[in-house]
Amino acid sequence: MNKLRKVTSLILAMSLSASVLAGCGNGSTESQASQASQAQASSQAGGQVKLVWALWDKDKTTYYQPLIDAYKEKNPNVTIEMKDLGSTDYQTALGTQLAGGDSGLDIITVKDVPGYAAMTNAGQLEDLTQYIKDNNIDLKKYGGITDQVTVDGKLYELPFRSDFWLLYYNKDLFDKAKVDYPTNDMTFEQYDALARKLVSGSGNDKTYGAHYHTWRSAVQLFGILDGKHTVLDYQDGYTWMKPYYEMVLKQQDDGVVMDYATLKTSSTHYSGVFENSSVAMMNMGSWFISTLMADNKAGKSTAKNFGIVKYPHAEGVEPGSTLATITGLAVASSSKNKEAALDFVKFASGEEGAVVVAKTGTIPAIMSDDVIEFITSMEGFPTDPNSKEALKTSHTYLEMPMNAKSAEVETALNDDHDAIMTKSISIDEGLKKMSEDVKAILG
Amino acid sequence: MSTHVKTVSSKGRKRRNNLIAYSFIAPNFIGFAVFTLVPILMAVGLSFMKWNGSAVQGPQFVGLANYAKLFTDSRFKQAFINTVIYTVATVPLTMITSLLLAVILNQKIFARNFFRTISFFPYVASLVAVAAVWNALFSPEKGPVNQVLRAIGISNPPGWAVDSNWAMATLILFSVWKNMGYYMIMYLAGLQSISPELYEAAGLDGANTVQKFRYVTLPQLGNTSFLVLIMVTIQCFKVYDVVLMITNAGPGTKTLVLVFHIYNVAFKQWDLGYASAISMVLFLMVLIVTIVQFRGEKKISN
Repeated sequence: MNKLRKVTSLILAMSLSASVLAGCGNGSTESQASQASQAQASSQAGGQVKLVWALWDKDKTTYYQPLIDAYKEKNPNVTIEMKDLGSTDYQTALGTQLAGGDSGLDIITVKDVPGYAAMTNAGQLEDLTQYIKDNNIDLKKYGGITDQVTVDGKLYELPFRSDFWLLYYNKDLFDKAKVDYPTNDMTFEQYDALARKLVSGSGNDKTYGAHYHTWRSAVQLFGILDGKHTVLDYQDGYTWMKPYYEMVLKQQDDGVVMDYATLKTSSTHYSGVFENSSVAMMNMGSWFISTLMADNKAGKSTAKNFGIVKYPHAEGVEPGSTLATITGLAVASSSKNKEAALDFVKFASGEEGAVVVAKTGTIPAIMSDDVIEFITSMEGFPTDPNSKEALKTSHTYLEMPMNAKSAEVETALNDDHDAIMTKSISIDEGLKKMSEDVKAILG
Repeated sequence: MSTHVKTVSSKGRKRRNNLIAYSFIAPNFIGFAVFTLVPILMAVGLSFMKWNGSAVQGPQFVGLANYAKLFTDSRFKQAFINTVIYTVATVPLTMITSLLLAVILNQKIFARNFFRTISFFPYVASLVAVAAVWNALFSPEKGPVNQVLRAIGISNPPGWAVDSNWAMATLILFSVWKNMGYYMIMYLAGLQSISPELYEAAGLDGANTVQKFRYVTLPQLGNTSFLVLIMVTIQCFKVYDVVLMITNAGPGTKTLVLVFHIYNVAFKQWDLGYASAISMVLFLMVLIVTIVQFRGEKKISN
């Protein structure tokens, strides 16, 4: 009897502690079940081909449906179903779906480089190199950005959107402070001086000179614009990031920009602070143009009178050098309709697709003069010539270069950025730790 | 003869009773087996393999490589230490506060039910919502808490969730506040099952309030305390959601806990084998602590 009690209590103890692990296992079971149902859904019926396109924010994004409609007009036998995997956990959801083979997905939207690296490592994306050769797709029109995501001579995605970082500014606040607008040819010193001139007021009515969102890319990547470094270069201890961390932390101490800690605890979204005119300048990706224009139109924003200029640049670096993120399209290697999927990818990432995307105010990967004309002539786009000129980039560098371990590096860089910005660690020690962390991953 | 017949029939009845009992357990157990037990066993297997979730490559057996990696992974070390600190601080604090609340709210005080509801509210409220409010209250610059602190003369109040020295404390405080209402209910149930005669007898023997609490209430609550202890401990080892909402493992890795690390390794870096190995460490930790607690309980109750 006593023994039995012992055994029961042991089993109880085990099952209680086993519940710890339950969370880790559930995901895969669920995804298997949903995969099975999708596999059926994507099967062909007659001459009709049905493609499933994995993407995020289906209802908030303006260009998915126009792309599908434009493609369907030319290929009436193809139907494309959008599968919204959500924006915050997109890569996690997608990875879970693709794990285990038959995912029922045909077209994959590639959100970022770490995700792209993870999927190519796992062999979940179709190699497009031969297809590109056979169809004479000219990669030059993407401005060299495809070279940065080519792995061992193989390319697995074609970009259909390319966003790059710009400096947004609020003209009303500049007028009020009687300060000249920023230009397309500003050094970081000029930018810093300008930001300091625009601070006014206090408390809730305070106007800040500039704004940095809590992402690491908003601060540390100023350092890669000289083209000499990437965030993977841990060897020299990331000393090249130091001037920018110093500049930003100094601005923070002097009350020129909002405090990182406050932004983090309040989860403040960058669109809010710019749109309610609390900041005079803000560095942000070009995706914000269409959001801002839409919010201005809907009356949700007071920053109606805004302008954009090129990123500030370091001494000796060509203006127009900026950070870029690309959004690519790829074909799932488990797809049963690869040919049709490839054709759609070719369409959406090509010139025709670019025009469709541009018509919605979004910047496509192919930046022709036509495309710039489209976007700048939209209602609500700033009318000054500088804003138009700002869309022309000279050099673009990926926020995260292609590497099999970029997801791990991303985690380490984010942690150390957080530690430096909350002043948990000094800049020097933080950069030292950053280089040790990245070395441990890559070295 | 008659005894013989009786044993057979009682044996038969016992078997039938067992079968009936099993049939009642079955629906739950089958679900548990399919959705929990099998994945757990798979995780055990995966911890000896390298797998990035790809169906093309499939898992490869790597022996103990994943476990060896634990010793060189500084993030794992940090997460392990943080989890232990969090647990060691949160468990006693939660138990003490919930017991105190229960004792107070078990007395016939004014608006007792109202206060019981209030104390239970944090547990029922959505974590995401209360965490956002909590972070607003404790915001370093404009948060009301720090404004009050400044007003009473503390010129340099802590930065709470974004202060490297205070982030863990903030996390612990939040967890205690969030969960104490739930365990208070358990203690209330325990308190109400204590026979009033015991207090009467103690009173006749001249025991004062403190002595009554020490020699009647506490021993009588032994079983409840044990249950609460085990539940809080396991909950602490498993903590993830609170960390995600309050500190997001920061500043740096100051509040990185094991489950958070497991999630990152598994679903951001897609190293499922290594993530499973860390899960095994977590599993062993919880198992050992629980067994020790069971042993201790038996000793005390005997």
